[in-house]
Amino acid sequence: MTRMQKGLAIGLLCLFLAGLSNPLWAQAPPENSTGEVIALLKEQNSALSADLRRIQREIAALRADLDQPGVKDVFAGIGYIFGLFGAAAFAASRRRE
Amino acid sequence: MHISDGVLPLAVTIGGYAISAGIAAWSARRIHSRDLPKIAVVTSAFFVASLVHIPFGPTSAHLLLPGLAGALLGPAAFVSIGLGLLLQCVLFQFGGITALGANAVMMGVPAVICGWFFQQVRGRARMPQAVAGGLAGALGTFLAAVFLAGLLAAGGEDFFGVAKLALAAHVPVIVIEGVVSGFTIGFLARVKPALLQSSFRDAAGLVHD
Repeated sequence: MTRMQKGLAIGLLCLFLAGLSNPLWAQAPPENSTGEVIALLKEQNSALSADLRRIQREIAALRADLDQPGVKDVFAGIGYIFGLFGAAAFAASRRRE
Repeated sequence: MHISDGVLPLAVTIGGYAISAGIAAWSARRIHSRDLPKIAVVTSAFFVASLVHIPFGPTSAHLLLPGLAGALLGPAAFVSIGLGLLLQCVLFQFGGITALGANAVMMGVPAVICGWFFQQVRGRARMPQAVAGGLAGALGTFLAAVFLAGLLAAGGEDFFGVAKLALAAHVPVIVIEGVVSGFTIGFLARVKPALLQSSFRDAAGLVHD
Protein backbone atom coordinates (compact mmCIF):
# COMPACT_ATOMS: atom_id res chain seq x y z
CA MET A 1 0.00 0.00 0.00
CA THR A 2 1.50 3.27 -1.00
CA ARG A 3 1.68 6.30 1.16
CA MET A 4 -0.84 8.07 -1.06
CA GLN A 5 -3.40 5.29 -0.66
CA LYS A 6 -2.96 5.40 3.11
CA GLY A 7 -3.51 9.16 3.14
CA LEU A 8 -6.59 8.75 0.98
CA ALA A 9 -8.01 6.09 3.26
CA ILE A 10 -7.46 8.25 6.34
CA GLY A 11 -9.01 11.21 4.57
CA LEU A 12 -12.07 9.13 3.61
CA LEU A 13 -12.39 7.86 7.17
CA CYS A 14 -12.26 11.42 8.48
CA LEU A 15 -14.93 12.50 6.03
CA PHE A 16 -17.11 9.53 6.98
CA LEU A 17 -16.78 10.29 10.69
CA ALA A 18 -17.55 13.95 10.05
CA GLY A 19 -20.64 12.92 8.10
CA LEU A 20 -21.71 10.60 10.86
CA SER A 21 -21.40 13.13 13.61
CA ASN A 22 -22.85 16.03 11.68
CA PRO A 23 -26.53 15.17 12.50
CA LEU A 24 -25.66 15.01 16.23
CA TRP A 25 -24.39 18.56 16.08
CA ALA A 26 -27.54 19.56 14.26
CA GLN A 27 -29.69 18.09 17.04
CA ALA A 28 -27.85 19.85 19.84
CA PRO A 29 -29.95 22.71 21.26
CA PRO A 30 -29.04 26.22 20.24
CA GLU A 31 -27.10 28.20 22.79
CA ASN A 32 -29.88 30.65 23.63
CA SER A 33 -32.45 27.99 24.81
CA THR A 34 -30.38 26.65 27.75
CA GLY A 35 -32.41 28.65 30.25
CA GLU A 36 -35.66 27.25 28.86
CA VAL A 37 -34.35 23.71 29.11
CA ILE A 38 -33.29 24.21 32.71
CA ALA A 39 -36.70 25.66 33.58
CA LEU A 40 -38.42 22.67 31.92
CA LEU A 41 -36.22 20.21 33.80
CA LYS A 42 -36.89 21.97 37.10
CA GLU A 43 -40.62 21.84 36.47
CA GLN A 44 -40.49 18.11 35.68
CA ASN A 45 -38.35 17.53 38.74
CA SER A 46 -40.77 19.26 41.10
CA ALA A 47 -43.74 17.40 39.59
CA LEU A 48 -41.91 14.10 40.03
CA SER A 49 -40.95 14.81 43.61
CA ALA A 50 -44.55 15.77 44.44
CA ASP A 51 -45.69 12.45 42.96
CA LEU A 52 -43.04 10.63 44.97
CA ARG A 53 -44.17 12.28 48.19
CA ARG A 54 -47.75 11.27 47.49
CA ILE A 55 -46.70 7.67 46.84
CA GLN A 56 -44.61 7.59 50.00
CA ARG A 57 -47.62 8.79 51.99
CA GLU A 58 -49.74 6.08 50.42
CA ILE A 59 -47.15 3.44 51.26
CA ALA A 60 -47.08 4.62 54.88
CA ALA A 61 -50.88 4.48 55.05
CA LEU A 62 -50.86 0.98 53.53
CA ARG A 63 -48.27 -0.15 56.03
CA ALA A 64 -50.39 1.19 58.89
CA ASP A 65 -53.38 -0.66 57.46
CA LEU A 66 -51.38 -3.86 57.21
CA ASP A 67 -50.36 -3.56 60.86
CA GLN A 68 -54.00 -3.54 61.89
CA PRO A 69 -55.18 -7.03 62.72
CA GLY A 70 -57.72 -8.32 60.26
CA VAL A 71 -60.82 -10.45 60.60
CA LYS A 72 -58.72 -13.55 60.01
CA ASP A 73 -56.57 -12.84 63.08
CA VAL A 74 -59.63 -12.24 65.24
CA PHE A 75 -61.26 -15.52 64.33
CA ALA A 76 -57.95 -17.35 64.61
CA GLY A 77 -57.60 -16.09 68.17
CA ILE A 78 -61.16 -16.98 69.14
CA GLY A 79 -60.63 -20.42 67.65
CA TYR A 80 -57.44 -20.87 69.66
CA ILE A 81 -59.20 -19.85 72.87
CA PHE A 82 -62.16 -22.18 72.41
CA GLY A 83 -59.88 -24.98 71.25
CA LEU A 84 -57.60 -24.67 74.27
CA PHE A 85 -60.49 -24.53 76.72
CA GLY A 86 -62.14 -27.41 74.94
CA ALA A 87 -58.96 -29.44 75.36
CA ALA A 88 -58.85 -28.44 79.04
CA ALA A 89 -62.48 -29.49 79.52
CA PHE A 90 -61.76 -32.79 77.77
CA ALA A 91 -58.78 -33.45 80.06
CA ALA A 92 -60.85 -32.54 83.12
CA SER A 93 -63.67 -34.86 82.09
CA ARG A 94 -61.23 -37.71 81.43
CA ARG A 95 -59.68 -37.26 84.86
CA ARG A 96 -63.05 -37.33 86.58
CA GLU A 97 -63.96 -40.75 85.19
CA MET B 1 -52.15 -0.19 77.31
CA HIS B 2 -49.47 -2.71 76.41
CA ILE B 3 -45.79 -2.58 77.23
CA SER B 4 -43.72 -3.18 74.11
CA ASP B 5 -40.54 -5.16 73.62
CA GLY B 6 -37.36 -3.55 74.84
CA VAL B 7 -38.97 -0.96 77.11
CA LEU B 8 -38.35 -2.76 80.37
CA PRO B 9 -34.90 -3.79 81.60
CA LEU B 10 -34.03 -7.47 81.81
CA ALA B 11 -34.55 -7.77 85.57
CA VAL B 12 -38.09 -6.40 85.39
CA THR B 13 -38.88 -8.64 82.41
CA ILE B 14 -37.75 -11.78 84.23
CA GLY B 15 -39.43 -10.65 87.43
CA GLY B 16 -42.67 -10.10 85.54
CA TYR B 17 -42.51 -13.61 84.09
CA ALA B 18 -41.76 -15.11 87.51
CA ILE B 19 -44.59 -13.27 89.26
CA SER B 20 -47.10 -14.01 86.54
CA ALA B 21 -46.11 -17.70 86.48
CA GLY B 22 -46.74 -17.89 90.22
CA ILE B 23 -50.10 -16.13 90.05
CA ALA B 24 -51.12 -18.16 86.99
CA ALA B 25 -50.43 -21.39 88.88
CA TRP B 26 -52.51 -20.14 91.84
CA SER B 27 -55.24 -19.02 89.45
CA ALA B 28 -55.29 -22.28 87.47
CA ARG B 29 -55.77 -24.28 90.68
CA ARG B 30 -58.93 -22.27 91.37
CA ILE B 31 -60.52 -23.18 88.04
CA HIS B 32 -63.55 -25.41 88.33
CA SER B 33 -64.10 -27.64 85.33
CA ARG B 34 -67.73 -26.57 85.08
CA ASP B 35 -66.55 -22.97 84.67
CA LEU B 36 -64.40 -23.69 81.62
CA PRO B 37 -66.98 -22.57 79.01
CA LYS B 38 -67.59 -19.32 80.88
CA ILE B 39 -63.86 -18.66 81.10
CA ALA B 40 -63.47 -19.36 77.39
CA VAL B 41 -66.22 -16.90 76.48
CA VAL B 42 -64.84 -14.16 78.75
CA THR B 43 -61.34 -14.78 77.41
CA SER B 44 -62.46 -14.35 73.83
CA ALA B 45 -64.40 -11.21 74.76
CA PHE B 46 -61.28 -9.81 76.41
CA PHE B 47 -59.21 -10.82 73.38
CA VAL B 48 -61.49 -9.03 70.93
CA ALA B 49 -62.24 -5.99 73.12
CA SER B 50 -58.78 -4.57 72.49
CA LEU B 51 -59.79 -4.00 68.85
CA VAL B 52 -62.61 -1.61 69.83
CA HIS B 53 -60.86 1.70 69.40
CA ILE B 54 -62.24 4.86 70.94
CA PRO B 55 -61.03 7.94 69.06
CA PHE B 56 -59.83 10.50 71.58
CA GLY B 57 -58.27 13.70 70.33
CA PRO B 58 -55.13 13.02 68.31
CA THR B 59 -54.72 9.53 69.68
CA SER B 60 -57.09 6.65 70.33
CA ALA B 61 -57.43 4.25 73.20
CA HIS B 62 -59.01 0.82 73.19
CA LEU B 63 -61.16 -1.09 75.63
CA LEU B 64 -59.30 -3.31 78.08
CA LEU B 65 -62.02 -5.03 80.18
CA PRO B 66 -59.86 -6.37 83.03
CA GLY B 67 -62.49 -5.30 85.55
CA LEU B 68 -65.32 -7.11 83.77
CA ALA B 69 -63.21 -10.25 83.36
CA GLY B 70 -62.32 -10.16 87.05
CA ALA B 71 -65.91 -9.61 88.14
CA LEU B 72 -67.11 -12.54 86.05
CA LEU B 73 -64.28 -14.98 86.65
CA GLY B 74 -62.76 -14.19 90.04
CA PRO B 75 -59.35 -15.80 90.51
CA ALA B 76 -59.54 -17.54 87.12
CA ALA B 77 -59.36 -14.11 85.47
CA PHE B 78 -55.57 -14.18 85.63
CA VAL B 79 -55.29 -17.30 83.44
CA SER B 80 -57.92 -15.88 81.12
CA ILE B 81 -56.15 -12.55 80.72
CA GLY B 82 -52.75 -14.18 80.36
CA LEU B 83 -54.02 -16.34 77.51
CA GLY B 84 -55.79 -13.38 75.90
CA LEU B 85 -52.61 -11.29 76.07
CA LEU B 86 -50.51 -14.12 74.63
CA LEU B 87 -52.81 -14.43 71.63
CA GLN B 88 -53.03 -10.66 71.18
CA CYS B 89 -49.25 -10.53 71.23
CA VAL B 90 -48.85 -13.34 68.70
CA LEU B 91 -51.68 -12.44 66.33
CA PHE B 92 -52.06 -8.66 66.67
CA GLN B 93 -48.48 -7.67 67.61
CA PHE B 94 -49.85 -5.83 70.68
CA GLY B 95 -47.13 -5.71 73.28
CA GLY B 96 -44.09 -7.91 72.93
CA ILE B 97 -43.38 -11.54 73.70
CA THR B 98 -40.61 -10.58 76.12
CA ALA B 99 -42.88 -8.11 77.93
CA LEU B 100 -45.68 -10.66 78.19
CA GLY B 101 -45.02 -11.46 81.84
CA ALA B 102 -45.08 -7.80 82.81
CA ASN B 103 -48.21 -7.23 80.71
CA ALA B 104 -49.94 -10.17 82.40
CA VAL B 105 -49.11 -8.76 85.83
CA MET B 106 -50.25 -5.31 84.76
CA MET B 107 -53.64 -6.50 83.50
CA GLY B 108 -54.24 -9.69 85.47
CA VAL B 109 -53.59 -8.53 89.02
CA PRO B 110 -56.07 -5.61 88.71
CA ALA B 111 -58.59 -8.09 87.30
CA VAL B 112 -58.29 -10.37 90.32
CA ILE B 113 -58.47 -7.39 92.68
CA CYS B 114 -61.60 -6.18 90.87
CA GLY B 115 -63.14 -9.62 91.12
CA TRP B 116 -62.55 -9.69 94.87
CA PHE B 117 -63.87 -6.11 95.17
CA PHE B 118 -66.99 -7.03 93.17
CA GLN B 119 -67.73 -10.05 95.35
CA GLN B 120 -67.34 -7.93 98.49
CA VAL B 121 -69.44 -5.00 97.35
CA ARG B 122 -72.27 -6.52 95.33
CA GLY B 123 -75.57 -7.16 97.01
CA ARG B 124 -78.41 -9.41 96.02
CA ALA B 125 -80.51 -6.95 94.07
CA ARG B 126 -79.92 -6.09 90.45
CA MET B 127 -79.12 -2.39 90.71
CA PRO B 128 -76.41 -2.68 93.37
CA GLN B 129 -74.81 -5.44 91.32
CA ALA B 130 -74.80 -3.28 88.20
CA VAL B 131 -73.28 -0.37 90.11
CA ALA B 132 -70.68 -2.63 91.70
CA GLY B 133 -69.87 -4.03 88.25
CA GLY B 134 -69.44 -0.54 86.84
CA LEU B 135 -67.16 0.43 89.72
CA ALA B 136 -65.16 -2.76 89.20
CA GLY B 137 -64.81 -2.01 85.49
CA ALA B 138 -63.57 1.52 86.15
CA LEU B 139 -61.30 0.33 88.96
CA GLY B 140 -59.74 -2.32 86.70
CA THR B 141 -58.52 0.17 84.12
CA PHE B 142 -57.44 2.63 86.80
CA LEU B 143 -55.38 -0.05 88.56
CA ALA B 144 -53.92 -1.21 85.24
CA ALA B 145 -52.66 2.34 84.60
CA VAL B 146 -51.19 2.47 88.12
CA PHE B 147 -49.50 -0.91 87.61
CA LEU B 148 -48.13 0.30 84.27
CA ALA B 149 -46.59 3.28 86.04
CA GLY B 150 -45.22 0.98 88.73
CA LEU B 151 -43.61 -1.37 86.20
CA LEU B 152 -42.07 1.50 84.26
CA ALA B 153 -40.88 3.01 87.54
CA ALA B 154 -39.16 -0.31 88.28
CA GLY B 155 -37.42 0.21 84.94
CA GLY B 156 -36.11 3.60 86.05
CA GLU B 157 -38.85 5.99 84.93
CA ASP B 158 -40.45 8.62 87.13
CA PHE B 159 -43.47 6.95 88.78
CA PHE B 160 -45.74 9.99 89.16
CA GLY B 161 -44.94 11.35 85.71
CA VAL B 162 -45.85 8.08 83.98
CA ALA B 163 -48.87 7.54 86.22
CA LYS B 164 -50.23 11.00 85.42
CA LEU B 165 -49.70 10.46 81.70
CA ALA B 166 -51.25 6.98 81.67
CA LEU B 167 -54.24 8.05 83.74
CA ALA B 168 -54.83 11.16 81.63
CA ALA B 169 -54.74 9.06 78.46
CA HIS B 170 -57.18 6.54 79.92
CA VAL B 171 -59.78 8.77 81.56
CA PRO B 172 -62.29 8.23 78.72
CA VAL B 173 -61.52 4.51 78.70
CA ILE B 174 -62.11 4.32 82.45
CA VAL B 175 -65.50 5.99 82.07
CA ILE B 176 -66.54 3.87 79.09
CA GLU B 177 -65.35 0.65 80.73
CA GLY B 178 -67.34 1.50 83.82
CA VAL B 179 -70.49 2.01 81.75
CA VAL B 180 -69.94 -1.11 79.63
CA SER B 181 -69.16 -3.29 82.66
CA GLY B 182 -72.11 -1.90 84.61
CA PHE B 183 -74.57 -2.63 81.81
CA THR B 184 -73.10 -6.09 81.21
CA ILE B 185 -73.24 -7.05 84.87
CA GLY B 186 -76.74 -5.61 85.24
CA PHE B 187 -77.90 -7.61 82.24
CA LEU B 188 -76.31 -10.80 83.52
CA ALA B 189 -77.80 -10.24 86.98
CA ARG B 190 -81.23 -10.15 85.38
CA VAL B 191 -80.76 -12.97 82.88
CA LYS B 192 -78.38 -15.41 84.50
CA PRO B 193 -77.32 -14.48 88.05
CA ALA B 194 -75.45 -17.76 88.44
CA LEU B 195 -72.75 -16.43 86.10
CA LEU B 196 -71.78 -13.82 88.67
CA GLN B 197 -70.75 -16.36 91.31
CA SER B 198 -66.99 -16.64 91.19
CA SER B 199 -65.00 -19.02 93.28
CA PHE B 200 -63.20 -16.81 95.80
CA ARG B 201 -64.99 -18.56 98.64
CA ASP B 202 -64.75 -22.27 97.76
CA ALA B 203 -61.00 -22.65 97.62
CA ALA B 204 -61.32 -26.39 97.02
CA GLY B 205 -62.67 -25.87 93.50
CA LEU B 206 -59.99 -27.80 91.69
CA VAL B 207 -60.14 -28.88 88.07
CA HIS B 208 -60.64 -32.56 88.91
CA ASP B 209 -63.71 -32.04 90.99
